[in-house]
Amino acid sequence: MVKVKVNNLTKVFGKKAATALAMMKEHRPKTEILKKTGATVGVYDVNFEVNEGEIFVIMGLSGSGKSTLIRLLNRLIEPTSGDIYIDGEDIAKLSKEGLREVRRHKMSMVFQNFGLFPHRTILENTEYGLEVRGIPKEEREKKAEQALENSGLISFKDQYPNQLSGGMQQRVGLARALANDPEILLMDEAFSALDPLIRREMQDELIDLQATVQKTIIFITHDLNEALRIGDRIALMKDGEIMQIGTGEEILTNPANDYVREFVEDVDRSKVLTAQNIMVPALTTNIDIDGPTVALNRMRKEEVSMLMVVNKKRELKGYITAENALEARKTQRPLSEFVDATITTIDKDMMVNDIFNIIFDSPTPLAVVENGRLQGVIIRGGVIEALAETSEVSVNE
Amino acid sequence: MNNFLTNQLPVADWVENITEWLTNTFAGLFSFIQSSGQSMMDGITNGLVQIPPVIFILLLTLIAFLVSRRHLGLPIFTFIGLLFIYNQGLWTDLMSTVTLVLISSVVSIVIGIPLGILMAKSSKAQSIITPILDFMQTMPGFVYLIPAVAFFGIGMVPGVFASVIFALPPTVRFTNLGIRQVPTELVEASDSFGGTAWQKLFKLELPLAKNTILAGVNQTTMLSLSMVVIASMIGAPGLGRGVLSALQRAQVGNGFVNGVALVILAIIVDRFTQHLNKPKTAASKATSKKKKWVTVASVAVIVLAAVGLSAFTGNDKSDKEINLAYVEWDTEVASTNVVAEVLREMGYKVNLTPLDNAIMWESVSKGEMDGMVAAWLPNTHGSQYAQYKDQVDDLGENLTGAKVGIAVPSYMDVNSIDELSDQAGKTITGIEPGAGVVNAAENTLKTYSNLSDWTVETSSSGAMTVALGQAIKNKEEIVITGWSPHWMFAKYDLKYLEDPKGGMGDAEAIHTITRKNLKEDQPEAYQLLDNFNWTKEDMEEVMLEINNKKDPEDAAKEWIEKNQDLVESWKK
Repeated sequence: MVKVKVNNLTKVFGKKAATALAMMKEHRPKTEILKKTGATVGVYDVNFEVNEGEIFVIMGLSGSGKSTLIRLLNRLIEPTSGDIYIDGEDIAKLSKEGLREVRRHKMSMVFQNFGLFPHRTILENTEYGLEVRGIPKEEREKKAEQALENSGLISFKDQYPNQLSGGMQQRVGLARALANDPEILLMDEAFSALDPLIRREMQDELIDLQATVQKTIIFITHDLNEALRIGDRIALMKDGEIMQIGTGEEILTNPANDYVREFVEDVDRSKVLTAQNIMVPALTTNIDIDGPTVALNRMRKEEVSMLMVVNKKRELKGYITAENALEARKTQRPLSEFVDATITTIDKDMMVNDIFNIIFDSPTPLAVVENGRLQGVIIRGGVIEALAETSEVSVNE
Repeated sequence: MNNFLTNQLPVADWVENITEWLTNTFAGLFSFIQSSGQSMMDGITNGLVQIPPVIFILLLTLIAFLVSRRHLGLPIFTFIGLLFIYNQGLWTDLMSTVTLVLISSVVSIVIGIPLGILMAKSSKAQSIITPILDFMQTMPGFVYLIPAVAFFGIGMVPGVFASVIFALPPTVRFTNLGIRQVPTELVEASDSFGGTAWQKLFKLELPLAKNTILAGVNQTTMLSLSMVVIASMIGAPGLGRGVLSALQRAQVGNGFVNGVALVILAIIVDRFTQHLNKPKTAASKATSKKKKWVTVASVAVIVLAAVGLSAFTGNDKSDKEINLAYVEWDTEVASTNVVAEVLREMGYKVNLTPLDNAIMWESVSKGEMDGMVAAWLPNTHGSQYAQYKDQVDDLGENLTGAKVGIAVPSYMDVNSIDELSDQAGKTITGIEPGAGVVNAAENTLKTYSNLSDWTVETSSSGAMTVALGQAIKNKEEIVITGWSPHWMFAKYDLKYLEDPKGGMGDAEAIHTITRKNLKEDQPEAYQLLDNFNWTKEDMEEVMLEINNKKDPEDAAKEWIEKNQDLVESWKK
């Protein structure tokens, strides 16, 4: 079931549009077109379809026209030519009133810098879309509160946006878009302004949310990893044109041209991924100072059942398990007697593919050492994840 | 091109014609605005004056305390400053000024904010309006007084008109700026949810631009306050009048007191409008908002009640009301105050309006003023008389033997105008540019060949007497435009220069001039004005008292008491 269909969509900024388009046909570079005509081609002859309930990601470097494209979909920017069909209705031909209805009921948008109104509380922000529709106050507040409840922000409803962290603000932006109960969600680099940890969290949340709400989502990003994580299908743009549309798999395995190949090469990291890239900081206990109680305490705090054992100089001595540490405490004997020295060590430059084979036979995490000093540890999950991202590519070689 | 270089374009004539056409075409509208505006502002002023000053001061101090969030500086300043103004007897003037500033600001805001919004929404409008605003702001404020008088006569309304033109630009500019500064993403957000242009304006743009707009409004109030002084030249009452008359009569102390009162008012208005503009923390927002509105509402109720009260009581125009115009020359201050006192004894309500000479004539000819006792004829005001004689009634002389001429201190060894060569830097120290004696002096320069490279330096009558006093103190040469009766002839040893060609005129008489139909409307007052006449000595007695720092009204009362018989003879 096709929800959104875009035909030959083009947007030229500036005056001499016809000349600029003619030059575009000849594949002249953007700078030359700008110099000659003073016009910029934002989007050129774009065609795609989005199915109902699909997350369709549009990806590209900055300046590739992806932000212009998403604004053409709800006509924040007026298209120069082309058609945009939503449920078979041509948006580009709609009158102002008709367009307003579509914006109010069918599409909502989430912005890169959240687009929250600083002079309104979180609740007032969330109900904005309902407010402009003229829904009575009680009803719209109920809906807005429900949307905030769903994103766990209800306790902040009377705060102002500047009192919230970036992640929370973007949740509000999302709640505001969802309060309207739209059929289509447009997300313009929604997570780009957040720090990497929060970003990951938000991506997961979006995937979870999509499982329950089943919206059609058009998602813009410049980050390939983000696209691969959340996109059902991905369109890659360059200089206003779409280079390739397909699943993450298709784009990685069959790049349509050199540009796409270069673009996705960053991801093909099995060639360059080493132990150093996937190791995590080791949880250690210092045998020269710590006693069993301290070691146990540390395990409880870090929620683990074993620790790496090092000396003052951070030289690796082995590992100790929770059972052994407990035994040491009961019997009042020093920790050093219970250290298990049978631990597999590897060099920090070892390739992921080689580590994969070693870690399968090792009961303990691998210790990454350099000159006898402990640098970090590698756990099974890290290797598997690294391989999961790259296995397809490495198999192809 | 050659034509352009040799022939002067008649731009002045074009402007005159346009103004004339406007005045005639929209006469009905202008007079409606004039009368309704005047009565509204009189109502507000009366209402404000009705509030007992002490209560008013305490109320404003309380508001100052609330808007400044419990800082003591502003409330203390407000309290002491207003008390000082009250103590100096300038309370009524202050209330007139407040009314003028209030109405000018409100009108500026009502016109300015929509205009600013239009500019923000349309780049075409912006490119058209911006140069007009530049023009409005750089044009000297005086220039606006001329069409203001042509359209609305004299009084508060033209004052407001001129103030609005002068003070409007900042509000327009800042509104435009504030709306254009709203981040694009927020505008897009509003659009993407299907907000209409109005919803976007009221829910997003205006709230975010509020602080910028208020900064513009603050500028506007300050500018309209600065126009108050200038507008007093065309009869706008208030503190400006005190400043202007002090300037024209060279009274440093009076000028200072009125000026300080204006400064106090300016600081209070400025701080009040700035405090409304302070960013608030979210916590204080809800509570302080409520409080502020409660105070604003309560003040509004009090003011409106007072205005309403006065509208019922003080605003029915008593049928015994007389408006007299005069120029701030010492002679006219004396005679006008005496006439006014006599009229008051007869039960009239008399309004005295000091005006510039030319505007005084115009206002009487248009019937805005009932009359004046300050027409120097045949020479000094010859040009004005020629212009307006068909639209006024000349009731004849009220004082004879007046004289105007070129005067010098006695120690200078010239006795006749044709003996002047290079004395006093070849300048004649004159008075106000519109005064008759100045015109006469300029004509004299043309008639005497030895004066071909002399100039007449205009200033004000007060400034001229100060310059004269300084010159005599330092035994320097000075040539002035003199007229008598005047106290300077009593105070200093001066002599008129002989005038063989008669350019300055012979003996002059001061005439009483009234508007047409005064005889039918106010027969008693007309009778008095018709009979009013006295001598040079009478006038100089009053003038000397005034010059010795006596209040003009008291000096007039004193003189009337001494001369009961003469005064009674006028009433018959």
